[in-house]
Parts: sequence; C-alpha cells; structure tokens
Amino acid sequence: MSLFKFLREVSAKRTTPAWIILMILVVFVIATSPFFLQADNIGNVLRQSVALGIVSIGQTYVILIAGIDLSVGSTISLVSVLSTGMMAGRTEMILPAVAMSLVLGLVIGLINGLIVTKLKVPDFLVTLGMMFMIGGAALAYTPKPAGLVAKPFATIARASWGPLPFSVIGFALLVVVAILILNKTTLGRYIYAVGGDAEVARLSGIQVGQTKLLAYLICGFTSALTGLFVASRTTIGDPTVGSGFELASIAAVVIGGTSLFGGRGGLSGTIVGVLIMSVLANVLNLHSVGGYTQLMIRGIIIILVVSLYERKRALVVG
Amino acid sequence: MSENFVLEMRSITKRFPGVLALDGVDFHCQKGSVHALVGENGAGKSTLMKILAGAYQPDSGEIILRGEKVEIRDPRNALHLGISIIYQESNLVPYLDAAQNIFLGKEPKGRFGRLKSEEIYKQATELVSRLGVSIHLKRPVHLLSVAHRQIIEIAKSLSYDAQILVMDEPTSSLPSKEVERLFAMVRSLKAHGVAIIYISHRLDEIFEIADMVTVLKDGKKVASLNVKEATKTNLIEMMVGRPLSDAFPSRSSQPVRKEALRTVDLTRKPFLDGVSFALGCGEIVGVTGLDGSGRRELGRAVSGDDPPERGEVYLFGKRVSCKSPRKTIRAGLAFMSDDRKSEGLIMGLSLLENISLPSLGFRLRGFVINRVREKKEVAKAAESVRLDCGFLKREAQYLSGGTQQKGVLAKWLLMDAKLIVLDEPTRGIDVGTKVEIYHLMRELANRGTAILMLSSELPEIIGMSDRVLVMRKGRIAREFKGGEPTEKDILTAAMMGVRET
Repeated sequence: MSLFKFLREVSAKRTTPAWIILMILVVFVIATSPFFLQADNIGNVLRQSVALGIVSIGQTYVILIAGIDLSVGSTISLVSVLSTGMMAGRTEMILPAVAMSLVLGLVIGLINGLIVTKLKVPDFLVTLGMMFMIGGAALAYTPKPAGLVAKPFATIARASWGPLPFSVIGFALLVVVAILILNKTTLGRYIYAVGGDAEVARLSGIQVGQTKLLAYLICGFTSALTGLFVASRTTIGDPTVGSGFELASIAAVVIGGTSLFGGRGGLSGTIVGVLIMSVLANVLNLHSVGGYTQLMIRGIIIILVVSLYERKRALVVG
Repeated sequence: MSENFVLEMRSITKRFPGVLALDGVDFHCQKGSVHALVGENGAGKSTLMKILAGAYQPDSGEIILRGEKVEIRDPRNALHLGISIIYQESNLVPYLDAAQNIFLGKEPKGRFGRLKSEEIYKQATELVSRLGVSIHLKRPVHLLSVAHRQIIEIAKSLSYDAQILVMDEPTSSLPSKEVERLFAMVRSLKAHGVAIIYISHRLDEIFEIADMVTVLKDGKKVASLNVKEATKTNLIEMMVGRPLSDAFPSRSSQPVRKEALRTVDLTRKPFLDGVSFALGCGEIVGVTGLDGSGRRELGRAVSGDDPPERGEVYLFGKRVSCKSPRKTIRAGLAFMSDDRKSEGLIMGLSLLENISLPSLGFRLRGFVINRVREKKEVAKAAESVRLDCGFLKREAQYLSGGTQQKGVLAKWLLMDAKLIVLDEPTRGIDVGTKVEIYHLMRELANRGTAILMLSSELPEIIGMSDRVLVMRKGRIAREFKGGEPTEKDILTAAMMGVRET
C-alpha cells in the first residue's frame, strides 16, 4: 500500500523526470565506459558542476518569480577580471577583492531588479542590455586575459578533503541553505506566490516589487560568487570566461523542472539539471565525441526534457 | 417517441482517477426545445456536456444522434456533427478583434488563401446585430467587457449552424438587458429547430426559458421533468437532497454598533461620482445596481485595487489611504473579488498555501515559516467555512468553484478581517455551497464583522442585507431597509433613480 502511494507521489512531483534522465545517463555511462567510476573522474564531474551550480542557484530564484537573468555570464567575466586585477598575486588583497566582487554582484542585481520593478521594463530586455554593458566593461578593463590570483586563493578550487573537493562541500552547503530559504521561509513562499500569479499576490497584500528585487539580488550575488570561484580555478582573469553561463544556467534550471513561467519547480531540480549536463559532457568526453557534436546533443536533450514537462495533465474535479 | 429526439445519451459512465463523475446517466433532448441541466458543482453536468462536445470520451454508454449511434472523437468532430458548446470560461484570442475571433478557423478566403476582410466584418456585423447588441468589432477582445466577450462567443457558435447548442452558465456575466436579448435569440433558435441544452444555477431563468429540466446529483440522474410540473423548491431539494426551509438566514435585530467603514464623496470618473455611505460593525449592507452603475468599481476603490481620484475613506474611524491593496489590508479590510480564478487564488499553489498567504505578513509572521502553526491555523479557518481539510493539500486549480470560493473566504477570515467586501460572492457556485456561504456571512456579522456585499443577484441582495443601497450612474440612488424592497423596487431605483425633491 505504501509503496504504491510512494510511487504515485513521486510521479506527481515536478522534478521526477529529471531524476529519471540522470539515472538513465549514469547507468548508460557505467555500462559503456570503465573509466566513469574512477574516483578522480567522479571528482572531476562534481568539480565541473560547481561553477555552473552556483550561478544556477540564483537563476532558479529569478526564474521562479517568472523572470530571467541574461547578465549572469557577463557578471562572472567582470568579477573574474576585476578580482584578479585587484589581487595581482598579493595575499593581503584577497579579502578586499572578494568583498568588492560580492558587492558588485549585489549592485548588478539591484540595478536589474530596480529597472524591472520600477521602470517596468521586461526582464529579458533589461538583463540582455546589462549583459552587453557588463561584458563590454570587462573587455574594456582588459581585452586579453590578465591579472593573477594570490596563491592561497588559488587553492580554494583545488583543495580536497580526501576524495571530496572542498569546493563541492562548500557548494553543497550553499545548496542546502538556498533550498531551506525557498521551502521554509516566508520569502520563499512569496517567491512562489509572485511567480505563480503576481496579481493575486498583490491583492493579498504582498509586496511584489520587493520580492522580485530580492530574487535579482540573490542572482547577482551568486553570479559574483561564481566569478570568484572561476578566478580561483583558472588563476587569471579572463574577460570572456563567463560567456555561455547565462544560457547554460537557464538550461539547467529548465531541465530540472522549473517552469519558465514561474511559480513551479525548485532548486533540487536545478541541481539535478546541472548534474545531467556535467554527466552528459563527461559521457561524451569518455566516448571521444567532438565539442560541436556535444553542443548539438545538449540541445536535443533540452528540447526532449522540456517537452516531457509541458505535457498537460487534465484532471479536473467538479 | 424516439424519432423526436435529436439526441439521446444512454447510460453514460465516466471515471476519473479517484472519482466517479458520471454513473449511468441517461439524457435526451428534442429538436426545437430548451432542455435545462441543473445540479450542484461536481454533480456531473460539465462532464456530461464535455463528453457530448467531444472533449472527453465516455467509459461506457452510447450516444445516438438523429437516430444513429455515433462516436464523438474530438471537438472538431463534434462541430461537424452539428454540436456546438459555449463554455463558461472565455475561449477567445485576447489580442484579435471580435470579427476575427468569430471566424477563427473558418475565415472566408479568396484566391491564394487571401483573407476576405470585408466579408468577415460584414458577416460578423450581421451575426452580432442578430443578438441585438452593438460591439466594437475592430477592438481586440481583451479590451471588451466580460458581457461583450460572452456575446461574441455566442455569435461564434451561431456561425457554425449548430443543431445542438450547449450553453454553460451563459448569463453569469451578462447584465439583465442582455439576458433578455439572449432569451429572444434562444427562442428564435428554438423556432428554427435547434435543440438547446442550458446549464445554469439561475432557476428563475430556467423557468422562463426552458421546456424540460434534468437534475443531476453526484453523477446520477435524479429526474427529468417538464418545467411546468416543477417548482423551484423541489428542484433545489432534488439537487441538494435536503429540504430548503430557509435559504437565507434571518436577519439580526441588534442595533448597529461602531462604524466600520465610511466613505465621503468617493469619486473616480466616469464610474464613481461622489459616493458617500457608512457601514457599521455587525451589519450586512448590500450594494446593487446595473452594470456600469459603479457597484463593482466601489469595491475596487475601497480596497485599493483601483484607487479613487477624490474622496475620503475611513476604516474604523481612521482615515485610510486607498492607494494599494496592501494599505487597506493593513487597516483591516478584506476584499474578495468577483473573479476568484485570476484574482482570488494562485492556481499553481495548494489551497493551504493560498489560504495562509496574506497572513504570512501578520499572524503567521516570521522569516522561517512555522509549518506546524500554519497547518493548525489554516485548518481552523477551513473549518470555520466548512471546508473539508482533505482539499488543503490539493492545488487550487483542481478544485470546484464552490471549494475555491470557500478557500478565498478562509484566507480573509484567517486575517481576522473585521471588514469584508464581497464582490459577487456566490457567482458560479452550486446551490448547496451558496446556502453555506449565506449562513457564514450572517454568523460573521453576528460576531461583529462588517460586511459589504456587492451583487447583481437580487434575491441574495434582498434576502441577506440589513440595508440595501442601489447605485445608478456612479452615485447611490436609493437606500432601502432590509427586507423592504421587492425586485421591482430595486430595478426601478437602478434604472430611474430617485427624483430630487
């Protein structure tokens, strides 16, 4: 009796298709390649997931309120060059550089949020414009890769605690906090309400503008955090390093089951979406599939998965 | 006898996961007649008609059309078989205009598929004028009133030359003038041999327009009878299975206490033109008037959804700024809109999450939501509106209209609102739940809550109000004491106002 009920509840949850696909992928790769299960390969897959994972957390918040943030990639690039430029290899500059980067992320999020809520410009356009502006600013700062992180900072992306990289542990903690905020707090409930139906939320006395603004702030923050992580990983600043993250993060969120229309889905799905993309890349690498082909396959997967989600279930009572 | 039946549905059964929607239902109707279908929400009326319209397939049973057994595979198939259905929810493309919507899918075309625009507008004008109304045919329909949009839907059905026309609550958003015109149209369709199946909660209309009536209850057919042999009372009893001694609870005889709401010269042109009135704690004041009289706009102004240009509003003696719903909610006002689907509930959230939503900033306030407390408080609120707690976990979009409306009411009760403004509180709701809501309103009033009820349903205005305010052209035309006015008195005041002496 309870197994049946469990199965029924699981099939009703929005993130289930994502889990199924991930499991299929994992089974497939284990069956077809002996290298997958090796410790350093798994460690690699997880480490590759961290960068995309962090920025996808913020993107999830924004998509849940029925918005979108196309500027995350440029923010990552700008933070990458500014933080490494500020540090220039000096250990004493680590903290100032980190602080400045996080504040920068918040400011970008604030600008995005204010223009969307106060000037009522559609989020797609606002963040698109910001993407160009911020990306241009990064290139203006340094057209070629430059800057250097301080030695201690570079170890953040590399250090491990036994087989488990520190970065993955840190990421897991961040995920837990973010999920708790979404599921257990009033802010989280307001985010789902505003995304589900902003007009009803307004009529219920919720400050819709403030809720949306907070979502963009969070997204700006996670983008900056990702920029710092990427800087640690590559050890230098690169004005185009963030390019592609905006679309990849949106893909991860959507594959994970969060609806682009807002109000439905969640972070656990996004994490699965990120893992799917990393595992997929790993599978294709292990089978020596070329880079361009990988992109095509990624696109097909996105379309397949999203079409599974948008299947309508017509179950009306009364 | 069977030759006269253009439609026979025999022993139709339909199951959905967890519910038996129809249990061996028989239904038939004759050419050139109006057959009404009544029953509480969840009784199976919509399901039966959706099967007829090809939207659902029955699990068992057969459908016989003009003497031949048929299978209605999908809505397009139904249309070709001469069955047309007009749903309660609008099925129009919002950004296309009326004429384009009417001919959607069957636009007259010329060579190379070029659209014949003049032809479209000409035929659309003709169809619409047959209904006796004038509508801006070239305006995108989302700018038109709900009443006009319904008329366009009816015109669209007419353009299909249907032999069987199903109308699901066609008059719920139509002002009385248009209802008469609709009936005239229905009678002329009858004369042309069309069979009309009329689903409605409005028993008055059924007695006026229908020849036969079938009562459904819990997926079964209770009875089919000639309207002449039926009475309102026994129809309602068949629908709810209980005697209807007092649909409207008796009025309170207590004197009015403190003032809950007072408006002074509330103005928002062109809808409100200097509205001043007061409402006391424990009072139920009913406001009515024809569409456009300002009745609906009064609710929007007082609640802050559509702030007034001029005038003052006092809540419990204190002046309140009506610039946003948030401000009026904080001052203790609750507003239940007439459109629960798009303004009352967030369809994708569960009923529990909907009910607790405004309270998250007040009684249930806190950065982290106390789930245990939330569940307890919501269950209490649900109980007070006689809402089954089993519905709380389900998503709002899957619940019936009556359950949804109770959920909205529970939402505001949880806020401890001492002043509730209700706009069309029982629109589109089954009889049983209506009665429950009336009793709830009176209970709340007896406990000191002030209730402002905006409604176009005269029976409930007359039955429920301690005072009746009739609006006309943006002002209060006349005030009646509870129980005094007849429907005629109210309509007279609504249409002609009171002459200044």
